[in-house]
Amino acid sequence: MSHSQRSDIFLLDADRTTWHDETLWFVRQKRDKAVYALPEFQDLRELASQIKNHTLSKLDFYLAQFEEAAKRNGVQVHWAADAAEHNSIVLGLIKKHGATRVVKSKSMLTEECHLNPHLIKNGIEVIDTDLGERIIQMREEAPSHVVLPAIHLKKEDVGDTFHIHLGTAKGNNDPQQLTEAARQHLREKFLAGEVAISGVNFAIAETGSVVVCTNEGNADLGVNLAKVHIACMGMEKLIPRLSDLSVFTRVLTRSATGQPVTTYTSHFTKPAPGKEMHIVIVDNGRTKQLGRPDFRASLKCIRCGACMNTCPVYRRSGGHSYDFTIPGPIGAILSPNIDMRKHASLPFASTLCGSCTDVCPVKIDIHTQLYKWRQVLAAEGEIPASKKWSMRLLSSVLSRPGMYGLGGKVARQGLRFLPHGLTHAKGYNPWAIARELPEPPKQSFREWYAQQQKNS
Amino acid sequence: MSSREKIMAAVKANQPEEVPLPDVPAFTGDGSLEKFITILEGIGGKVVPIRGVTHLEVVVQELFPTDYRIASTMMASNVPVDSQTPIEVLAAVDLAVLRGEFGVAENGTIWLPEVNMLNRALPMITQHLVLVLDHEQIVPTMHQAYARLGSVGDYGIFLAGPSKTADIEQSLVIGAHGARSLTVLLV
Repeated sequence: MSHSQRSDIFLLDADRTTWHDETLWFVRQKRDKAVYALPEFQDLRELASQIKNHTLSKLDFYLAQFEEAAKRNGVQVHWAADAAEHNSIVLGLIKKHGATRVVKSKSMLTEECHLNPHLIKNGIEVIDTDLGERIIQMREEAPSHVVLPAIHLKKEDVGDTFHIHLGTAKGNNDPQQLTEAARQHLREKFLAGEVAISGVNFAIAETGSVVVCTNEGNADLGVNLAKVHIACMGMEKLIPRLSDLSVFTRVLTRSATGQPVTTYTSHFTKPAPGKEMHIVIVDNGRTKQLGRPDFRASLKCIRCGACMNTCPVYRRSGGHSYDFTIPGPIGAILSPNIDMRKHASLPFASTLCGSCTDVCPVKIDIHTQLYKWRQVLAAEGEIPASKKWSMRLLSSVLSRPGMYGLGGKVARQGLRFLPHGLTHAKGYNPWAIARELPEPPKQSFREWYAQQQKNS
Repeated sequence: MSSREKIMAAVKANQPEEVPLPDVPAFTGDGSLEKFITILEGIGGKVVPIRGVTHLEVVVQELFPTDYRIASTMMASNVPVDSQTPIEVLAAVDLAVLRGEFGVAENGTIWLPEVNMLNRALPMITQHLVLVLDHEQIVPTMHQAYARLGSVGDYGIFLAGPSKTADIEQSLVIGAHGARSLTVLLV
């Protein structure tokens, strides 16, 4: 299925689509309010962009520096070339400790690697502890947003889910009470957790620390109660210096939700006495993306979700329509690198309005990359036949002025005389599914211009 | 070849030509106590000025029920906690009274290093958290905050308000998994 076909499913519920659209736009407005209150915000974006550009240009150096510092801190560092290796390293560590109960805080990387199914298949209980992630885990769904994983759900859905899984009263849809039920349920899991897995927001090369940002405190609670902490990170999470965090902590949450900062900005440098800390550094296609000059800037992403909140397509098609771990505009430029054929429709899920690029806190040229992916996909033959042939036809008409003139004449006459059912047939004119064609003008601009010249 | 070697070789082969690392200018801003209090209250924190650390116990008794199980580095407490305290004991703590090092005016966050925590899990597992903060220890922005730190130690948190979530229909709920409330006592 393509993005537009999956969007059709989301759009079946018009009220929900409107709610989704308006809610995310509200988050975008909160972002604006927070951003406009900071006079140096544009300078910070530029700095964040330059720091990330620099880091990517010396990534070998910073990876080595980070590894050395982390090892000095008593942290064990592991390297995974792909998702399978990542999953086997994590499972190996859990098994080494004879553990079966794992708590996990938010990590898009482990979603990308499909870690949970792998652990569950091997007899490990893995509990997502972020409230939104726990909700979708119970529903066996994927997150639909990087920061708001359950934004596709209404409180009634959560009420039903908790009624089934947590035994809350049927019809209790009160967010406060549902959150309290989740708190009680997850507290048991936290207390029993033997191994805690976390994602990584930033990895500091000079200190070997990993920084994790949450509002719920679930990463800290899980990690600090368990005997073993496994932090999983994509290699692009590095930043050179501790002081660079000042730039990133100032832009991350303002861009994401409009908060001045996350409730918990936690710096994990050394394991507590008697405990273990591991860091798994994952490639999984990132070095390939680094080698694509047009697309490497996508590796600067700090996963704030601002491009999703602002995107007119994402807001009206929902995160699941992208069928990729990272949805929205940023997902549409990351996904073809992973599997071009499977995700071929995603770079077309955009109007190229450029709003994503405008709000990106690290200045990724998202809409330019969307456009460039389209060129790559067309050259590789990865666009649908209808689009391919219509584009060819259009190209041959547009490159011949005579044909263009004739085509216009035929279309103007045709629209006037052909029956509506034929000109708006859904089968071959998908443009007209929800639109009316305009009233055809009597003459074209060229005809009008020629007439004016003659008259003057 | 190990995965590490493979990855490093691919990084070397694919990374672009080096571009410079920018210097971050010393951005500053409103570093007033008023700004800090306004922002912190805006994100769900409660701020109570007190006359001195000697008044701490009286104030805590006024603010919280007297039968609370309290762990603290700052005042008399009835739950002794250290890094080896068993989880069941930690899980029963109602209130932790700890010292915050300094506050950041732009976002209401407070630096809480491991040495002030008694146990790494305590600031999150306690039902309620009180941080005692010197009202003169406020910096304007995160730039001054990290400059002042120099090192983040083995473990440390910038803490901004009580634990919260908006994962159900974007409705803000205070008290997700960490402390249900944060009270900052300014001395």
